[in-house]
Amino acid sequence: MEEIIDKAEKPKWSQTREVFNRLSKRITAMIGLVIVLIFLVSAIFAPFLAPYDPLEHSLGHMLAKPSWDYPLGRDELGRCILSRVIYGARISLLIGTMVISIGVLLGAPLGIISAYYGGKVDFIIQRFVDTMLAFPGILLALTLIAMLGVGLANVMIAVGISTIPIYARLARSSVLAIKSRQFVEASRSIGASNFKIILRHLLPNSLSPIIVQSTLHMATAILWAAGLGFLGLGINPPTPEWGAMLNGGRLYIRVAYHVATFPGLMIFITVLGFNLLGDGLRDALDPRLKT
Amino acid sequence: MNSLLRVEDLKTCFYTDAGMVKAVDGISYDLQEGETMGLVGESGCGKSVSALSILRLIPYPPGKITGGKVVFEGKDLLNISEEEIRDVRGNRIAMIFQEPMTSLNPVLTIGLQIGEALEIHRGLNKKETRDEVLRLLRMVGIPDPERRIDDYPHQFSGGMRQRVMIAMALSCSPKLLIADEPTTAVDVTIQAQLLETIKDLTSRLGTAVILITHNLGVVARHVNRMAVMYAGRIIESGPATEVYEHPRHPYTVGLLASVPRLDKPRVGRLVPIDGQPPDLIRLPPGCSFFPRCSHRMQQCSMERPELRIVGAGHLAACLKDLGS
Amino acid sequence: MLNDILIEAKKIAMYFPLTKGIIRQRKIAEIKAVDGVDLAIRRGETLGLVGESGCGKTTLGRCFLQLLRPTSGEVFFEKVDLCRLGDNQLRPVRQGMQIIFQDPFDSLDPRMTAEEIVAEPLRVHTKMRGRELKDKVADLLGIVGLNPSMAERYPHEFSGGQRQRLGIARALSIRPKFIVCDEPISALDVSIQAQIINLLEDLQGEFNLTYLFIAHDLSVVRHISHRVAVMYLGKIVEIANRDDLYQFAQHPYTKALLSAVPIPDPAVEASRERIILGGEPPSPMALPSGCNFNPRCSVGIDLCQQEVPPLHQVGRDHWVACHRA
Repeated sequence: MEEIIDKAEKPKWSQTREVFNRLSKRITAMIGLVIVLIFLVSAIFAPFLAPYDPLEHSLGHMLAKPSWDYPLGRDELGRCILSRVIYGARISLLIGTMVISIGVLLGAPLGIISAYYGGKVDFIIQRFVDTMLAFPGILLALTLIAMLGVGLANVMIAVGISTIPIYARLARSSVLAIKSRQFVEASRSIGASNFKIILRHLLPNSLSPIIVQSTLHMATAILWAAGLGFLGLGINPPTPEWGAMLNGGRLYIRVAYHVATFPGLMIFITVLGFNLLGDGLRDALDPRLKT
Repeated sequence: MNSLLRVEDLKTCFYTDAGMVKAVDGISYDLQEGETMGLVGESGCGKSVSALSILRLIPYPPGKITGGKVVFEGKDLLNISEEEIRDVRGNRIAMIFQEPMTSLNPVLTIGLQIGEALEIHRGLNKKETRDEVLRLLRMVGIPDPERRIDDYPHQFSGGMRQRVMIAMALSCSPKLLIADEPTTAVDVTIQAQLLETIKDLTSRLGTAVILITHNLGVVARHVNRMAVMYAGRIIESGPATEVYEHPRHPYTVGLLASVPRLDKPRVGRLVPIDGQPPDLIRLPPGCSFFPRCSHRMQQCSMERPELRIVGAGHLAACLKDLGS
Repeated sequence: MLNDILIEAKKIAMYFPLTKGIIRQRKIAEIKAVDGVDLAIRRGETLGLVGESGCGKTTLGRCFLQLLRPTSGEVFFEKVDLCRLGDNQLRPVRQGMQIIFQDPFDSLDPRMTAEEIVAEPLRVHTKMRGRELKDKVADLLGIVGLNPSMAERYPHEFSGGQRQRLGIARALSIRPKFIVCDEPISALDVSIQAQIINLLEDLQGEFNLTYLFIAHDLSVVRHISHRVAVMYLGKIVEIANRDDLYQFAQHPYTKALLSAVPIPDPAVEASRERIILGGEPPSPMALPSGCNFNPRCSVGIDLCQQEVPPLHQVGRDHWVACHRA
């Protein structure tokens, strides 16, 4: 039966376009994509979109309820919540990107080397990865922050390091699956060096799970930063970060729900968006594509 | 003349991202009790799909049986209830597949798996089932059955696993056995053994057989009649000796000519069939073999040829008469 | 056929150990995939290598190319023992020998275009780039019967037969002398197989190639080979000129193998004498004593269980490993 579906001649698109086509067929994935795009746009164009300066105090208007001028109201220091939320997207994007970069750029090569060379190399690297994974993520992050101190940069580094083992594992299983395929053997028979084989064949073919994981991880990274910010371990005030804003608004939840609610809602929607997109990507990239 | 199985204009489609694939595009044939028929064709011609359609095993989505009748023992299998067709499967009509490793459950012993059909369809208790399974294992030629009945599929070789499949299939003495490429995955010496076993057992039990394969040699030895499929249609059918000796469809002719034969002197150069296998989504109008046919005429691209009589019990779907 | 030997394997053995334990690995058994094979391939010929699954033919093919490093033995390619060469020294030698794989789906990187796939060997071994490379690739595509305009397509856009042609173009690109064809047509439709066989034959004539043609389809092997070797459980049991092997097979296994091949002619099939080989090949971890084939052999004698029969000559260019031949 598979032969029948295989023999149906596929249109002459490149694989990227085919993936996008598949993605567009799922409404949840498209919703996720839209949310992510809005998030990215706010983050990048924050200075143009925010109506007011996010840091500007106005102690005469503390905890002002939402109004036409200030659609999301004002926080405990009179700052415009909408502006802070928009700028907050920027921080979240920054954190997410850095965390994932650290994770992928350090974790993936570890996994690839581990899988390709196998044997003792694999054994040692995997035990190291196992050890890291044995720590509950938050414990690891907190330990690293205790060692490095608080602050935005350290939060990113801490969370980033704690994702390394995940990408290492992911890259490793991807490469293991591809390593035994004949086109890798073909490359070896041509005389290509190990490095070239990894670069030219293994890497492009193992990208799919890493892309999916990164997308889902963005959501996690944002949650993490928010969580750490909420605990007061992350960003220093007055930087508008959603988690820190949640923390700040916590005290006033009875009298001014909007201060905590809107940042919370932003976290929720953004995380949801990335998750939906990530799930959609997973279906669109796997297994029907012949990779 | 009541045939055991009568397939009438069976049509099955698959809905894929790229379009609708007409996997089976209107095939019809008759099968008598105890008869063996070979269904021959290359990958994608629809032979396996047509067999799965008989037992309504086509997954929906993406596939769907879109037309025709499959009359078995007087009832149209495409029209009966789920419960009724379940009663037919494994009991009146049995099927064996190409890859025994994926058809067998790796975590159950083969004794349990062979016994499953017996418990469902014949209502035997545990002791009766075990005895019957041992008898079946002996029948299909598995040595040391008392010990092997409690073994798992991975402890058997490919050929032995196929024998287990045969035992499962024949456990309820079905009237019809559909064997879908049963020997493609095994070596040629094991293939010979398995086919002899199937032939021997089915003739003893009086079971009719539909043998699906792409191997023209396998068909030559083990079937009375054969049908050749191309692009979802039967393009030639008849008694095996007739079709082999006097093939009338250019595809059949091409196929037979392109295969090197051990019993004939070596030819200087093989004569292949030109072109590529057909694209089942965008089939040409008229004869689907037209692009590759060395005997084609203008008319062939406009008119879809129907099966016509070209010899005793011999049909071919070709506008040109290759009978010279 | 000239007696000029291009590549020769001497006492090649490939043993795969089965180990237990994590930190210190103990060897508990050995799979003798190839167990002492001497095989010389002459320049310009096609040597067919047949046998059933598990006989070691695929492993032997890879040993020739050093894709698997033999456990012991020597492989002389143009007088140099490849087994002694390190990876770096082997690289330039690889230009002279290539492989065509069985699976047209799996042997091409799905993320590379046809052009990139065929160009890869050229990138590794030559300094050709840009326009020159593109032209060379277009040339190669034409040689194997593909339209050069398809260079930008991806493997999944080609049919099975076309993919196999791509694999052949890739192997041919750096002008090798020796090509191992590892079941190159088994995964193709019957109507396409003949096309590829013809292509391989044409290319052999045009580029003076030497083939090791590994297959299990005896009819096809007879058509394309000049000499044929039969393997069983890691050893060569018979090797002869094509016609001698098919008409005057001496080894009981070869005879059974030939007898088991179905012939597409009901009349012939009905009148054939069949040798149905009983039993199954034993596990490669528990080989029988003496001749590997003796448990299934219908003409075995006591000697067969005691001594491994060596290959001895029974005709001009015809060797058999059997005590009874």
